[in-house]
Amino acid sequence: MQNTDWEALQEGLLSSLLNGETEGALSLTRETLSLGTEPVEFFTLCITPVLEEIGNRFQRLEIYLPEMVEAAEIVEMVNAQVIQPAIDSAQEGKSPSQSPSTKGKVLLATVQGDLHDIGKSMVALMLKVNGYHVSDMGIDVAPSDIVAQAKENDVDIIGLSSLLTTCLPYMKDVIDLLDGVGSRERYSVMVGGAAVTPEFARQIGADAYGSTAAEAVVICDRIMKHRMPIS
Amino acid sequence: MEEHRNGECQCLLSVLDKAERGPVIDQRTFDRILINRKINELVEKHDIQWDQEVMVPHDENLADRLFEAGMALALDAGVYCIDTKRRMIWNAEELEQALRTAPPEEVLGTGKDSVTLYPRRPGDDIRVAVAGGPFGIPVPEDLFVPMMMSYAQEPLIDIIDNASLITTHGRPIRAASPWEAVACWQEKSLIFEVLERAGRPGMPIGCAENAPSAIGELASTTYGGFRPTDWHHNSFVSELKTTYAELTRAVHYSHTGCHSHGFYNPIYGGYVGGPRGVAVASVAGLILMRACYGVTTMNAGPSHPHLSCDTHPDLLPAQALAFQALARNTRLLIANFERPVAGPCTRDILYEVAALTIASVSSGVSLVECVQSARGVEVAHATGLEARFAAQVTHASEGIHPGDADMVVRSLVAKYADGQKELRKGKPFDEAYDLDSLQPTAEWERLYEQVIGEMRSEYGLKVLPG
Repeated sequence: MQNTDWEALQEGLLSSLLNGETEGALSLTRETLSLGTEPVEFFTLCITPVLEEIGNRFQRLEIYLPEMVEAAEIVEMVNAQVIQPAIDSAQEGKSPSQSPSTKGKVLLATVQGDLHDIGKSMVALMLKVNGYHVSDMGIDVAPSDIVAQAKENDVDIIGLSSLLTTCLPYMKDVIDLLDGVGSRERYSVMVGGAAVTPEFARQIGADAYGSTAAEAVVICDRIMKHRMPIS
Repeated sequence: MEEHRNGECQCLLSVLDKAERGPVIDQRTFDRILINRKINELVEKHDIQWDQEVMVPHDENLADRLFEAGMALALDAGVYCIDTKRRMIWNAEELEQALRTAPPEEVLGTGKDSVTLYPRRPGDDIRVAVAGGPFGIPVPEDLFVPMMMSYAQEPLIDIIDNASLITTHGRPIRAASPWEAVACWQEKSLIFEVLERAGRPGMPIGCAENAPSAIGELASTTYGGFRPTDWHHNSFVSELKTTYAELTRAVHYSHTGCHSHGFYNPIYGGYVGGPRGVAVASVAGLILMRACYGVTTMNAGPSHPHLSCDTHPDLLPAQALAFQALARNTRLLIANFERPVAGPCTRDILYEVAALTIASVSSGVSLVECVQSARGVEVAHATGLEARFAAQVTHASEGIHPGDADMVVRSLVAKYADGQKELRKGKPFDEAYDLDSLQPTAEWERLYEQVIGEMRSEYGLKVLPG
């Protein structure tokens, strides 16, 4: 589509997302596509930069977790109700995993014994607004369940969180289990949370350590850039 | 006594009933509607706001409105029980009774090593108690005793709070496993050794730090273990959530006559929102911990989402105001919790500690908890010297009004705020202290003396020798 005022569209979408205006976001998207804009182009030039801006505003604490949650949910609806159907009808036979909506698939869990959730939720949101498909297993998750879910969801990255030093052994258990079932190379493992240090990450053979939600995005981008497809 | 015990038992049973019979609710709904949306409404309704330049708000009307907002949140939200997925609800009479029956004073420890805590109001010159220790900072087994000695030997520290062991007898410690029990018994043995060597056998111990679940606490708070006169812990999971494990601790403390301390960490930028929401949640959290667990001392230690500290300039006024709200309207024995970004052997840690201490003491806390250095995440990055410093500043701040504290705290914040993002973790214990003499290194001592000098000359604080 020529002469698209992307800046105005971004402003409009940003406003809708920050104000929780689901219908506004859906209408703007439908209208833009109806004027001839390709869905992938809209996602790349409008949705993606707007989500990055939302992530940046959270990083600066100009908005908070609930606003990010709502924005991410609205974008998920826009993708599900407008973008993906438009892509599917334009590109018949293309599998969902090849959708430009997803940079990669991440599985997050707070490990066994730990009930802390909010930091991990922040990571989940930052990853979502930066283009990742995120499955969040919640808190107090057994290592065996994490490994099983990673396989079922066919994820690229497993993210483990813990606030408590006494739960760190369970992070190592995840990696040991992946080794044990011969799946270690299939997944990249990143670890974080107040109890985790770069040294610990190295000791247990994790692929990356992140100390903030923003850093998790950088790490995942780096991992996905270098990740070889599993044949 | 029997009637009192029966009354306490009935109260405890009614709390547990709430966990079993309260309305079922999805946790996400609790967080988004009953926490976030409700806090946003209350902040507007009660006009909770302050000038961003102010570090220690000193508006009594605002503090009282904050108390009303916190009470309203406590009534409307209640506590979410993660295990039963039910909301525990208290009515106004129940909450008021919980506040009314809070002890007028509390004695921790025994004999010459005991300490009495008193309720305070903003600006009071009543003596503030000091709990000093690493507060769960992870430490190798061979450093536990020397590190804890560095706190136990400080005469201004009234209560000692333990480090966490990284391993127990060389083995990894796993939460909610027998290893947790082993670690807690080792923690008990080691700290009792420390107190004997320091000549303070009756000193109250903050415990058990190696007990992320109830297992460690139940295993080690018994015959030959940690004592009823020690300072035991209960907590909420953020935001305003409890678990069967925490309720089990409360039952155990009630039946063993243990003193219990509640802590709750609202997360800035999370479901409580910004600083104003942190203030409301802090007030509600402390009221609800009193009602839910029957704790007799309590603290809210909010956490910055990116820095994991509570000394960020955005959080200081929220905490100060919350302390004022509770101190003016209840006789709860409230505490602060000092979690600076910087670590030992840095000037920044002393500035951060001084700022939060002065803000807290002037705002009416009964207890200063110091210091979970370097955000509590760096192995062995904690020493008794920063706790000594905090204790000295604590006593120098008694009698200071919040309005007078504000300019001092603003000046201190200006010295460290820009550097917080650099995460200056400083040095671990074995580089900050001489392991033979158990005294600070010359470098650390020099920094400490310089900043003590600033407290006296620049801020006029009557800092007495430690």
